[in-house]
Parts: sequence; structure tokens; C-alpha cells
Amino acid sequence: MVSFGKLCQILAFTFCAGGMVLLLVGITRNDLRLIRSARRALYSLAIFSSLAVFALAWLFAVGNYQVKYVAAYSDRALPLFYKITALWAGQDGSLLFWAWVLSLVTAIVIFNTRKELHSSNTPYIYLVLAGVSSFFLFLIITVSDPFTLLPYAPRDGQGLNPMLQNPGMIFHPPTLFLGYIGFTVPFAYAIAAMVSGKLDESWLQKTRTWNVLSWVLLTIGIILGGQWAYVELGWGGYWAWDPVENASFIPWLVATAFIHTAIIQERRNIMKIWNMTLIVLTFILCIFGTYLVRSGVLQSVHDFGASGLGGYFLIFMAALLLGSVYLIAASYQDLRTEHSLESYLSRESTFLFNNVVLLAIAFSTLFGTMFPLLSEAVTGNKITVSQPFFNRVNTPLFLLLLLITGICPLIGWRKASADNLRKNFLIPLLTTIGSSAAMFAAGIRALYPLLAFSLSVFVATTILVEFWTGTRARKILTGEPAHIAFPKLLWKMRRRYGGFIAHFGVVLMVIGITGSNAYKLEEQATLFRGQSMDIGAYSLRYDNMKRYKLYNRDIYAANLTVYKDGKMAGTISPEKRFYVNADEPTTEVSLRSTLMEDLYVTMPAIGKSREITLRVAVNPLILWVWIGGFVMVLGGIISIIPSRKKVK
Amino acid sequence: MKRRNWRAIAGVLLVLTVAGYLVIQGISETGVYYWTVSEVLAGPRSENDRSIRISGNVVDGTIDYNQKDLVLAFTVSDTEDTTKTIDALYNGPAPDAFTAGVEVVLEGIYDHESNTFKATVLLAKCPSKYDSEESGY
Repeated sequence: MVSFGKLCQILAFTFCAGGMVLLLVGITRNDLRLIRSARRALYSLAIFSSLAVFALAWLFAVGNYQVKYVAAYSDRALPLFYKITALWAGQDGSLLFWAWVLSLVTAIVIFNTRKELHSSNTPYIYLVLAGVSSFFLFLIITVSDPFTLLPYAPRDGQGLNPMLQNPGMIFHPPTLFLGYIGFTVPFAYAIAAMVSGKLDESWLQKTRTWNVLSWVLLTIGIILGGQWAYVELGWGGYWAWDPVENASFIPWLVATAFIHTAIIQERRNIMKIWNMTLIVLTFILCIFGTYLVRSGVLQSVHDFGASGLGGYFLIFMAALLLGSVYLIAASYQDLRTEHSLESYLSRESTFLFNNVVLLAIAFSTLFGTMFPLLSEAVTGNKITVSQPFFNRVNTPLFLLLLLITGICPLIGWRKASADNLRKNFLIPLLTTIGSSAAMFAAGIRALYPLLAFSLSVFVATTILVEFWTGTRARKILTGEPAHIAFPKLLWKMRRRYGGFIAHFGVVLMVIGITGSNAYKLEEQATLFRGQSMDIGAYSLRYDNMKRYKLYNRDIYAANLTVYKDGKMAGTISPEKRFYVNADEPTTEVSLRSTLMEDLYVTMPAIGKSREITLRVAVNPLILWVWIGGFVMVLGGIISIIPSRKKVK
Repeated sequence: MKRRNWRAIAGVLLVLTVAGYLVIQGISETGVYYWTVSEVLAGPRSENDRSIRISGNVVDGTIDYNQKDLVLAFTVSDTEDTTKTIDALYNGPAPDAFTAGVEVVLEGIYDHESNTFKATVLLAKCPSKYDSEESGY
């Protein structure tokens, strides 16, 4: 199976490179037969990379520990599900996984464009996709081969890091990858449009589904990562502005900006250069994210170790960047638009501001992440910034973004009249002022939380008003009752309303983030059996300790009874787990989640007479972070559900 | 028409200025020097009351963990030159990965006279057995 896997990798690379040669010759000779052969070569690439992935999964399943990668990330005691998913637990397998998904994506694009072969930009799309594939395939057949054998066959593998044995962590990396990989398609279309000179907005229309889908996957990936950190790492938070987290967040921000201005270009045919720049930036930042994580240039708690791949990624990124800058500069004249922004009081300009703020957040995050390197290069002293920096800089920017999100639908396209403004702003403004006053009276006095909650009300109101006016208009038009008119309206105009639903998800998330950051309670205590501790309205009593075995772990679980306001509210049992193949125990979080707040309990230590050290936190509203994330993703998906009728 | 466009540009510049100001102010107020143990010992390089971040390895046999009061005392040595050491004190539970020999990152205040480091943040890196703590990209 090992040599089969190796062979498939090499064949995949050969077909990829061969396809690129065929495309290049086909383009220069203008020979459609060669392009058709190239399509077949790229289909074969998909088949062979799939077989290579299958081979590696097989080796994991049967436990061939002579394969270095299998030995490093699994062992006999590991459940089969984790064995197979260990495929992407390390670098070599991740790169293979990446190459595989990209080859499938390429096959889909090739299939979808089967009737567009005569179009001059189609071969270039294939060429870019194959070019990116070849980079990853090159890495796995040369420096990062997952099928490398050890000189001897160990009896067992080293096992998978216990912290990765968690369903959230299993799906976090692949969804993130899928998002990253998905952006290769719009990138390829954009480059092809510039090379072939077909610069109308058709590339945007054709890649809209890919854009939004990739964005959705990236969003899911980031949220899963946050949730994993929350339930698994045990420090009580979900986001620490760690370089690795930032590496996925920065492309997300730029992609979000791109999705918004793509709408402007489709509607008003402006901001062409801007959109080209954004998609190129998104894609390069996706690669850059991988580079940051893989090269070991930055100190991170997520310690991956330097791997020697950094140089290859740097060269690849430099090539992408130079090529893209050259192309944008060369097609600058053709990309310029006759139209421009007509008024600063227009919906277009709110999109522009949303972009500026998103990019400002992206670049300040990038700057902060890279600051240790920058400061060392410039002054010789390494200076790091951490959570306080990012919160300080990004909180006001996010609030500004939220404000723009609320204003946007209230302002008409092109140019808003004073009358139009007065009418649209009245209800949201009154609601916001009213609820702010109520919140102030209720004791929410700190500036940022008050602003965040007020702006959330503002945005939510504008969305509700939008839904209500739409429904009313449909009711009048069709005579349907509201409960039928509303879902029908949503469905008919799902592209538009999907966006609003995503914004509503953002609002819910903001509420969750604000609540859990600003009103968090934390306590620490060491308890002997029968003793209690208090936190907020809760009281926890330590009843007893249980010890049992499960799969590959030895578990110590403390049982605690939870009282809220003096009444019994259930039990909670934080654990300490000793995995067969790990030296250090892991701390397992125990959660009691409600819509209002989470009770978050970890047990960092167990003493000799079974006294336990507890770390307890009350995180208000945190569940809304996940609910909001879900709604955001749902909105994104709704907006790209294809209509049955083929739109030509 | 032209005049109104200027307002949009002015707005954009305003946002960028605010963002730039926040970044600069954020770095000057929350930026933390990051030194190795040897660099810290080489001389007083920062005011005593300002937080710094250091990295080093936990010296075998120096860990003194009072679990009841959650006080963790240990000695860190320079990653390269193990003769250079600092005594560290941390109030809080030891992280899972914290054992002798492991590489730690500390943030806190260093006192030159007593050669002690009062840490407010303690991060322990996963031991070399796993080359990754989180699964990979």
C-alpha cells in the first residue's frame, strides 16, 4: 500500500504538470484538442490524488506503523474514527489532503465549464488551478512525503495528541482548508479574466457561489476552532488572538470585504480594480496563513515546530504576489471605470466604508501578529503584543463596522435624499435610544458594552424593519397572509435576505462576545470532600471522586452538586484524563450551558487526599456566540441556494 | 459631484487615521519585550515595574507546587545556556503540559536584586513527543 500511495502521488503530480504543459501549448497554438487532453489529464489528477488519500487512510486504519506519519499520529488504542481523521493531524497529511481537495475542486470546475471551452479565459482558469495544485503536490512528493518509511517497524505508534481527540477538532482543520481551497477558484477566475482581457463582471457572477461557499466554510472552521478552544483548552475563553487563530481570521476579514464589494460591482459596475485586489489578497493571505502556521516563524502556543517548508511557501507567495500585481497593473487601464461613487450618502459608500474598516481590522491584526518579527528586524528587540493589543485596537473598529451594518440598508442606492433618510432612520433610531436608556438604567454603564448592545439593537431593528416592509409589500401585492408572505419572500429573494440573516447572526455573536467578555466571573478554590465554593449566584459542593477507564484513557471525575440561588440545579463533573500514550494528564472541562450563562468548571489538580483544585467561571451569554455563528453560516448558505431555473 | 466625493475620501482617511492611531497607541501601551533568560540576566534593560515576557526551560527538581494555595515556584534556565537561570513564581494552577524540562513562556515582572520573576502568565509548550499541539494546516 505504501508504494501504491507513493506511485499515486507521483502520477498525480505527473498528470498535473502534463496538464499544465498541454494547456500552455494549447493556448499558444490555439488548439482545442490539446485543451481537451489537458481536461482529461486534470481529471486523472483528481483520480490519482484520491487514490493516494485512500492509501494513506488505509495505512492508518490497518495501523502500519512503519510509515513515519502513521506512527507519529496514531496508535493501536485509538478508535478507528480518530485513526482515519488523523490523516490531517500533521503537516504531511494536511498537505496531501489539501492537494486532494483542490484536485476535486478543479475537477468540478472542469465539469462545470464543459460548454465554455471556446471562451478564451477557460484554459487560463485551468492553468491557475493546476499551478496551485502542482505546488502542493511538489511539496508532498519531495520534502513532505506522508508515505516516508521508518528504517524499522515500531510495534505501536506514538498516538494522537489527546487534545485533538475531540469531534470539534477533527472537523476544524478540514473545514478551514476547504475554505482556503475554495478561494482558489475565484482567484483562478480573476487571474484568467485579467490574462485574457475579459474583464466584465462575468467572473464575479460565475464565482459567487464559490466565494460565499468558501466564506461559509472558513466561518465554520474558525467557529469550530473557537469552540474547541473553549471546551478543550480549559482556560475559559474561545479566542486568544494567537498567531495561528489570526492566520485564519485575516483572510476571513478580507474575504468578507470582497463578498460585499463584489455585490457593488455586479450592480453598479464600479470598484473593479478594488475587487481584483481583494480576491488576490484573500487568496495570498490564505497561503500566508498556512505559511505562518507551518514555518514556525512566530512563537505560538500552538507549537508546530519549524518544518523547513517556510522557504517554499515564501517563494510561492512571492510569485503569486508579483504575478498578480503585474497583471493588475497591466490591466489597470481596462479595469478603470467610467462610473464612480456618486455620493457619500449612498448605499455604495456604506459598502466602501465597510471595506475600509474590515481591511483596517485585517491589517492591524496582521501588523500585531507580525510585530515580534518586525520589531526585532528594525530595533533588534523583540516586542510582542497579545490580547490586550488586539482587543484595544479592534473593538472600536468592530463597533464602527456594526454601525455601518445597521446604516447600510437604510440608505438608498446612488444617492439618498434627506426625506428618505428621515423616514428610514426614525424607527431604528427611536428603538435604539429607548433600549440604550433602559440598559443604562439597568446598570450597563461601561462604554463599550453599552455601545455594543445598543448597536446590536440598532442593526437588529433595521433588519426587522426590512423584513417587515418586504412582507407588507408582498401581502398587499399577493393578498397572502403574513405567515405565508414572509417565508415566500425570503425564498424568492434569498440572495438578499440571506445576507440580512447573516448580519443578524453577527448581531447575536456580538451580544455573546460582549456579554462573555465584559461580565465574566472567575473563582479558584481547593476543596476537600463535602466542602463548597460560591461564585455569583452559584454554589458548588464537592461530593466524591470516581475513577474509571474508557477506551484509551484513565479518568478521574469529581462529582459536584450545583446550587443556583440556593436551589439544586444539577450536577457537574470536571475530569482529569490520563491517556495511555501521553505523559501529562489532560484537564476536561465540565459545562452547564444555558441561554443566559455558562457555568464553566475545570479541575487543574487533584491532591493526595483527593482534594481538588477548581477553576470556575460564569460566562454570560456565551451560547449566543455559537448560535450567532450558526445563523451567520445559515444566512450564507441561504444566499447561495441555486434557483431551479438555469440563469443564463 | 466632485465635492461630495471628497467627503467620502475624507471619511476613508479619517477611519484609517483612527485605526493607525489605535495601532500605535496599542503597541506603545501593551507591547511587551520578549527576552531569553540570558538576555534578561545580561543587564537591566527595562524598568522594574514593566511586564516582560521570557522563555526558557523548567529545571528538573526545582518545581515546588503548593496545590492548596496554588503557588507554583520553579527555576527556568536559558534554552541554550542552561547555567543561566531565574527563579520564577506563579500564582495559579500549573498547566497540563507543565513538567520538568518543558519549555515555558512567562509574562510578568523581573526583579534584578533577588533574581526572581513574578509571572502573571504561564504558558507551557507541548513536549517534543508531539510536534504539534493543535492539528495542522
